[in-house]
Amino acid sequence: MNQERIYKVLLGPHVSEKTSLVAEQDQVVFRVAPDATKPEVKKAVEQLFNVTVVGVQILNRKGKLKRTIHGYGKRDSMRKAYVRLAEGQEIDFMDVE
Amino acid sequence: MQVSVETTSNIERRMTIGVPASEVDEAVESRLRETAGQVRLNGFRPGKVPLKVVKRRFGAGIRQEVVSEVMRDRYMKALEEQEINPAGYPSFEPKTMEEGKDLEFVATFEVLPEIEIGDLSKITVQKPNAEVTDKDVEKMIDNLRRQHADHKEVKRKSKNKDVLTMDFTGYIDGEAFEGGSAEDHQLTLGDGQMIPGFESGIKGARAGEEHEIEVTFPEDYQNEELAGKPATFKINVKKVEEPILPELTPEFFEKFGVNAEDEESFRAEVRNNMERELKQAVNNKVKNDVVEGLLEVNEFDIPQALTDQEIDRLRQDAVQRFGGQMDPQQLPAELFTEQAQRRVKTGLLFQELIRQNELKADSDKVDEKIQEIASTYEQPDEVIAHFNGDPQQKAQVENVVLEDAVVDFVLDQAKVTTKKMKYEEAVQAGQQQG
Repeated sequence: MNQERIYKVLLGPHVSEKTSLVAEQDQVVFRVAPDATKPEVKKAVEQLFNVTVVGVQILNRKGKLKRTIHGYGKRDSMRKAYVRLAEGQEIDFMDVE
Repeated sequence: MQVSVETTSNIERRMTIGVPASEVDEAVESRLRETAGQVRLNGFRPGKVPLKVVKRRFGAGIRQEVVSEVMRDRYMKALEEQEINPAGYPSFEPKTMEEGKDLEFVATFEVLPEIEIGDLSKITVQKPNAEVTDKDVEKMIDNLRRQHADHKEVKRKSKNKDVLTMDFTGYIDGEAFEGGSAEDHQLTLGDGQMIPGFESGIKGARAGEEHEIEVTFPEDYQNEELAGKPATFKINVKKVEEPILPELTPEFFEKFGVNAEDEESFRAEVRNNMERELKQAVNNKVKNDVVEGLLEVNEFDIPQALTDQEIDRLRQDAVQRFGGQMDPQQLPAELFTEQAQRRVKTGLLFQELIRQNELKADSDKVDEKIQEIASTYEQPDEVIAHFNGDPQQKAQVENVVLEDAVVDFVLDQAKVTTKKMKYEEAVQAGQQQG
């Protein structure tokens, strides 16, 4: 995987009630590119944040279907990655978001 | 809380205040908890945002807010402890602001100067001593009549006070010059509106006559190109009118809001008015002299903060006076600085004099003053009732009376010289702002 791809895999941190909960268990959540694979995410996180990644789970969340006067519309879908870090490690998203 | 006060100048103080870290941090913490219950963030239900997230998002802002509150709070407390009476607002300057460290900040502010009233007997006041004479009254009435004069066309030679309607063209070296001609120009002989020589050249002309006069522009004429040059004016006199002064009838009196049956009472009314004006003028003059003298005798520093406040007030006044829609802040402060300083100084001096000598506004005098003000209106009773019904208005009058008391107090000690003046001179002296 080339260096350029690393910067394209991660789209940003995902902040929600659930992510602040799993953060206690050394997991962080990212929005990732729609075609990102687990190895790609692992490499990208390790290189960009200087941490050790133990495992990656990925899911696709479909965008909601919304009805308007003009007919149906679909919100953007999102691909999220739950990344488990080595015990005790954490990522501070101070300047991202 | 440690407080140390430095005296940096006569009126400026620097206060360094230290606050323990725990106090500040606690306050920040509780404020964070408070916000956590209220903020709405995407991804969180209201009120369910973890403290950690709130802190990351809003921590710095909240801390700043809390710190400035703490500073203000401590500053007030410190003032109380140190028994300092500041003038105007302080400026704060935090030295350390990081979390976990003791907060230390410097508050710079000004205090009212301690005024030692100088030697009042060095003040000299010149009091105009003038009376309204029959001649003055006569002149005033004459003026009033002239203002309401009618005009009648006459065929005879024009003389003083007549109004001429004419066309004229001016030539310098045989050429007409700019601004040197006019049509249907009205000129009242004897008013001295035109350059010297013009009026005397035209005096005696009849309607329909053409004249040519030679004049020389005065050396100090406002148009420099023309100053000092000889010119020829060709004048075509169209009309000569003579003023007809209105008779002293009740209708004429009514124009001035005077309900007088005969000349006698009108004259008395006019005289009354003039006397009131004279009294006011004399008072004004004396007061000006007193203020002037006080400022001269007493030299002290004044807090910049007070001057700035006064400048703001003057700016607003000025904008209002011009009926302008402009932003008062646009006017340059330098315009008002001197005036503001004077006013602040005068105010401080008066306050000090009042305090030291325990001067008070006498309620009898207040009533008297109200009556005096009311007597210039057409329905004095209503005005008096209005003043007595409105505490703010009354307070203003009280202020005036108090000021007068100060002036009287100073007058008692100052050197007062009287100077004989004519009515007009005295009135003029009173109008000049020192």
